[in-house]
Amino acid sequence: MNVAVMKTKAEQAISENFEAVAEKLPGSEAVKARRAEAIGAFSGLGLPHRRIEEWKYTDIRANVKEIFPSAIHDAARITIAELIVALGPLAHVDAHRIVFVNGHHRFELGDLANAEGFKVAALGEILASASEDVSAALATTPEGGDAVEALNTAFMTDGAVVTVAEGVTVAKPLMIVFVRAGAHAHSVTVRNSLMVGKNASADVIEAHVVLPGASADAQLNTLTEVTVAKGAMLIHAKVAVDDGKALHLSNCDVTLDADATYRSFQFSTGLGLARNGLNVIFEGEGSKIDLSGAYLARHSEHIDTTLVVDHAVPRCESRELFKGVLDGHGRGVFQGKIIVRPDAQKTDGKQMSQALMLSEDAEFDSKPELEIYADDVVCGHGTTVAELDADLLFYCRSRGIPEKEARALMIESFIGEAIEKVDNEQLRDALAAYAMQWLGRSVRG
Amino acid sequence: MAAVQETIDQVRKIDVDQYKYGFETLIDSITAPKGLDESTVRFISAKKGEPEWLLNWRLEAFTRWKAMTEPTWAKVHYPKIDFQDLYYYSAPKSTEGPKSLDEVDPELLETYKKLGIPLREQEVLAGVQGSRVAVDAVFDSVSVVTTFKDELKKAGVIFCSISEAVREHPELVKKYLGSVVPQSDNFYASLNSAVFSDGSFVYVPQGVRCPMELSTYFRINAKQTGQFERTLIIADKGAYVSYLEGCTAPMRDEHQLHAAVVELVALDEAEIKYSTVQNWYPGDANGKGGVYNFVTKRGDCRGHHSKISWTQVETGSAITWKYPSCILRGDYSRGEFYSIAVSNGYQQVDSGTKMIHLGKNSSSRIISKGIAAGYSQNTYRGLVSAHRKATNVRNFTNCDSLLIGDKCGAHTVPYIEAKNSSAHFEHEATTSKISDDMLFYCRQRGLSSEEAIALVVNGFVRDVLQQLPMEFMAESQKLIGISLEGSVG
Repeated sequence: MNVAVMKTKAEQAISENFEAVAEKLPGSEAVKARRAEAIGAFSGLGLPHRRIEEWKYTDIRANVKEIFPSAIHDAARITIAELIVALGPLAHVDAHRIVFVNGHHRFELGDLANAEGFKVAALGEILASASEDVSAALATTPEGGDAVEALNTAFMTDGAVVTVAEGVTVAKPLMIVFVRAGAHAHSVTVRNSLMVGKNASADVIEAHVVLPGASADAQLNTLTEVTVAKGAMLIHAKVAVDDGKALHLSNCDVTLDADATYRSFQFSTGLGLARNGLNVIFEGEGSKIDLSGAYLARHSEHIDTTLVVDHAVPRCESRELFKGVLDGHGRGVFQGKIIVRPDAQKTDGKQMSQALMLSEDAEFDSKPELEIYADDVVCGHGTTVAELDADLLFYCRSRGIPEKEARALMIESFIGEAIEKVDNEQLRDALAAYAMQWLGRSVRG
Repeated sequence: MAAVQETIDQVRKIDVDQYKYGFETLIDSITAPKGLDESTVRFISAKKGEPEWLLNWRLEAFTRWKAMTEPTWAKVHYPKIDFQDLYYYSAPKSTEGPKSLDEVDPELLETYKKLGIPLREQEVLAGVQGSRVAVDAVFDSVSVVTTFKDELKKAGVIFCSISEAVREHPELVKKYLGSVVPQSDNFYASLNSAVFSDGSFVYVPQGVRCPMELSTYFRINAKQTGQFERTLIIADKGAYVSYLEGCTAPMRDEHQLHAAVVELVALDEAEIKYSTVQNWYPGDANGKGGVYNFVTKRGDCRGHHSKISWTQVETGSAITWKYPSCILRGDYSRGEFYSIAVSNGYQQVDSGTKMIHLGKNSSSRIISKGIAAGYSQNTYRGLVSAHRKATNVRNFTNCDSLLIGDKCGAHTVPYIEAKNSSAHFEHEATTSKISDDMLFYCRQRGLSSEEAIALVVNGFVRDVLQQLPMEFMAESQKLIGISLEGSVG
């Protein structure tokens, strides 16, 4: 819908911000042209608002009043010890690491020793040094991209570019860590690119964490582009943990070739206003995806999960399971769209979204959607929302479990069902630890 | 109600294009001039001898309508409607219909026969001239109606046309008209409010259980009243009424655009059951022509423990845009929605419901079965919402879609909004095709593939069919079979 609206203060600030930093952003002339094009596209679109169907429940225009300065050439220096503190339970996950602080690569914090079979590079360096073609190719706004993706192209500073060579199975996971630090409010824009070659297999963990003592106000825009080639497999986890005020706009665009597998898990907690977009397109037959996630929201946090799974070719399978726990004035949004194109016969798609509400003021909005143009398909979706089951609670109490513990037990088992989907055991334990921390502060007797 | 003779002929194959003939009769009527402006609204109001307040009400709706834009969010596509190219008032009297059944398209008659409709009712349905007179004199069902009218009067039930109600019971109409669907509700509802021609009015007084099922079918002479019908049903405290709308037989109808409004009001402990069977002209096999059915139906469960139940069987119309909804205002109120939407050929259906929970402990249930065949698009669109103060509300939703053929589409777009932690909402939806095993089994037992499909589909929609009043149920089963003809092979 085209609604002509006056530009808000925030929208003006974004354009002014771009003018101010455009020259300092990395990239060749071709990249600069792409950035200018993207900011132009954004000016036409404006910040997403509730009159746009996809943003019905998450009105960025109404909620974002102020734009923080872009963290360009940010001087925040952190030590390995500080990084470990910021990572919290994630520090126990055995993985290669590439680390970005406020959207800038910090070589000294990374750990890529003995990393075999894959190449990891920093996008900032590629944009600045590589040939025009390569860097311009990395600086495109995805087809059909919205205002948030356009902003990503305009402002992106850095990110990980990961290439897994054909036929390689990478044993140890790679963790891409984005740390937020510094006492000043700022906005960070990063982009990752994950390319898994034919018959290869890899495990990537994307972590967005915050250093204790950092300003609670922050704005993050992240985009991860994933390509999984024929017969390949990628396990991709995204963990976002923050202090309860940050704006977190995230997109992940996945393209799968034939017989490929993509397994994804998204964990979000402590995000002031978050949008986790996940768009998957099947381009080759016989591929499989499993998308799942868990989110925990309290106070006035708002977590939006929006999926679009496009079955463009026959014989593909998709599975989705998302679970959320909402406390205080916390609000959860789930939008899941499964499209089955006219020739995509033998499609098998299942989707489930569940929310548990712990307080009277919590809110959950769900819009699972099926758009099906082929007949030989099995597709279904389900969504439920409820508070803790009084009968179950009574049963636990009748067995001598105090109410507070019983409640915690039930919430743990509810969220645990989703966390179980995580393949990496150490990561699973880390996420369970985050969930327990959250519960410890949330459950009332 | 058509007296149904069970199992007459087995359903035989006819073309989807079952309306091929007989629909070219031009309306020649005492009409308002083509187009729509304030004078049209005044003309309609004056023609019907309406009081000042109603004229003003219409004019206000018209003013609002002028400022509105046509909605485009539904998953339906059609050429833009030129609202100045329509007649807004055409008295049905001067219709040049066929002189007798001999002049009526034989295929149409064949369809009637399959549905088991008595000969005289067929005349009425096909619009044979003079049959309306015959209705009063000859028709069994109509003499029954006359008897019923006495009985209804004794019970205190008011059942008449809305124009009559404006004259006889202005206080009731004034109080409730537009109280559920306001003049500015949406584009088509506003249009309807400005130019509505006629419709039914029902008032069931306190504590009365309406002694029989009411039906528009009884008032066949009030049919053909044009594109803009308006229905208002009020069940006072503790009252009960069951209302049937439409007819299983294909209606002969020239109107391209239908924008009706139905308002239901249920006060404390009252119950309204509203059943619809819609089988208007769906257009020909190439998707040309057909009725645009843009209807606003809404029920208001105003009192505590009130209940409104919608049941619909949608097989006709080229485009259906219809969301019978319930506003569950009263504590412990209940809303139900049972729907079967069958689309074939180039039909487009975008239908569903809204259950808006405002009252404490209110509950609702949605069962929707969509069947898409041919080149049709069939969308379920629904909203279930719980208000912040509405504690302990419950909803269960089940939407199943069945696809027949690989050129059609089935879509599900539910919105679930829970603003209260004690809300329990469950939603499930599935889409699949008729399994080859099932078809093979039926065929191996000697059924033709069309019979087999009709059988499987009727099984698929059984949950909803059971909600229909008895006579409708049997007819609807056959109707679904006929609607899907030509969808295989």
